Amino acid sequence: MTTKTTVRRVLSRVAFVATLAGVAVLVGPAGANKTPVTPQQLQAYDEVFMEQVRNGDLLFHGDDATAKRMGVTLSTTGMACAMCHPFASDTHPQAFPKFQVSMNKFATLRDMINWCIEKPNQGEKIDPDSDAMKALEAYIYWSNTGSVLVPGKY
Amino acid sequence: MSELDRERREMAAKLQRPGARPDPSLRITRRTFIHKSCLLGAATVAETFAWWPLLNTIDVAFAAEEPFKFAWISDTHLYPRSLNTRFVDKTIRAAKEVQAMNPPADFLIFGGDIAQLGKIEELELGAELLKEVKARQVFIPGEHDWYLDMGKKWGQLFGEPHWTFDHKGVRFIGLDTVSRAPDYWTVKNMSPEERMGHMATLDGSVAGPWAGVGRDQLDWLSKTLSTWDKSRPVVIFSHNPLYEYYPPWNFWVRDWREVNDVLKPYANVTNIHGHVHQVLYNEIGTMRSIGMLATSWPWPYAPEGVPKLTKPMIRVDPGDIYDGVGWGNLSMRGDRIENEYIMWGRKEVFVQSGPDSSLSQPEILRSRIADKLYPY
Repeated sequence: MTTKTTVRRVLSRVAFVATLAGVAVLVGPAGANKTPVTPQQLQAYDEVFMEQVRNGDLLFHGDDATAKRMGVTLSTTGMACAMCHPFASDTHPQAFPKFQVSMNKFATLRDMINWCIEKPNQGEKIDPDSDAMKALEAYIYWSNTGSVLVPGKY
Repeated sequence: MSELDRERREMAAKLQRPGARPDPSLRITRRTFIHKSCLLGAATVAETFAWWPLLNTIDVAFAAEEPFKFAWISDTHLYPRSLNTRFVDKTIRAAKEVQAMNPPADFLIFGGDIAQLGKIEELELGAELLKEVKARQVFIPGEHDWYLDMGKKWGQLFGEPHWTFDHKGVRFIGLDTVSRAPDYWTVKNMSPEERMGHMATLDGSVAGPWAGVGRDQLDWLSKTLSTWDKSRPVVIFSHNPLYEYYPPWNFWVRDWREVNDVLKPYANVTNIHGHVHQVLYNEIGTMRSIGMLATSWPWPYAPEGVPKLTKPMIRVDPGDIYDGVGWGNLSMRGDRIENEYIMWGRKEVFVQSGPDSSLSQPEILRSRIADKLYPY
């Protein structure tokens, strides 16, 4: 082994490491998803959310087709959520979780939604993690955008 | 400034003329003053909720020739019996209680929305259930009664949608505030059921500002009143309030300015209305306005625009189908008209403290979105 080859090897190792570092700098952050958010991404996220809000709005207003599509029976009396809660008023999502007198327990908004489905509407309780529940929750929260959080308030 | 703020300021500027009140002799009497809700209410919730004037006993210098009572029932929102028995039960209860009034009611006014979706079956069911009341019955329509067949069946069952009669020195007038909606259905080629569905959605945006009296009916009202002494009592029944409370839910008539122009010369006008399903009191110009309970379900107060003169009703227990609903027992005795809210399951109709009221939970609300998109 000559000195020349040693120098060449060292150089190629340096070049290799430098190349790796270069690749890491260029590719790494993108792979870790750390580029600044783009307007296109924001729009896509918003569309996902608003799609749920629309579904929730339709369910909340007793739209049969949406209920059927999502596999839920929210009422059997002809009552829809919006009949007592126009604009989702008086749902007070900002006050949950709280002690809910009508249930006599500490409850979340999802508990309350299910209580309303079961009692006044005489419908079938839905899975708290179901798409329909998330949609109803999305609509109720969206409708109350701007209301101040007061968890626990009667 | 929001559109609503602007309108409200205009209403105040136009109607609250200096010294204009419904009646110069309206006063706080001993009877109303000792009313428990006034005493407690004034002390605890004075800032948010006006304590005056005391809803249960509204004192008016009424020149009724002899004392008499009448009853108000409205907003039964009946579905066919096979779908919903609760609304049927509550209608029966109201009718039985009206029939049991002692001294009996001289007449029953039904203030609209007897049906939920305007179906023949629903309207006929309502007429049938109210037969329990043997006194004279008069009817005005609600939007739920009208927009399936544009009032055809309602007219067959209950007659003209507006009318007038004099009773013991008081001129009573029934107005139709529902049948003159701007046509939102033809251009979109809606079926009668679709048209009705949008009309039956209180917070929908498709049916638009449907509540109004209309030029033709205003002319009729003007003519009807022209033969009446301007200082003598007039009671006007309407489904919607005759002022602007909250247009997005049609808690108003869109031509309230014109209504006021007609009523202005009359010193003693009381408007009794349904539609809002809640305790409500207001005075605009020389007219006082009283909102009545539904038998079906209560509406929450609108997020803004609740009249300052309203002492709000108690926060309702959603687990009790008889809470927050009922009917109205009205008396005319000597110089006054009194309205007693018969709210089932409640001894105390009015809020006693902040937490008793839904208004103690401030909310900022958005209108709905799904009916603003295709295919609507």
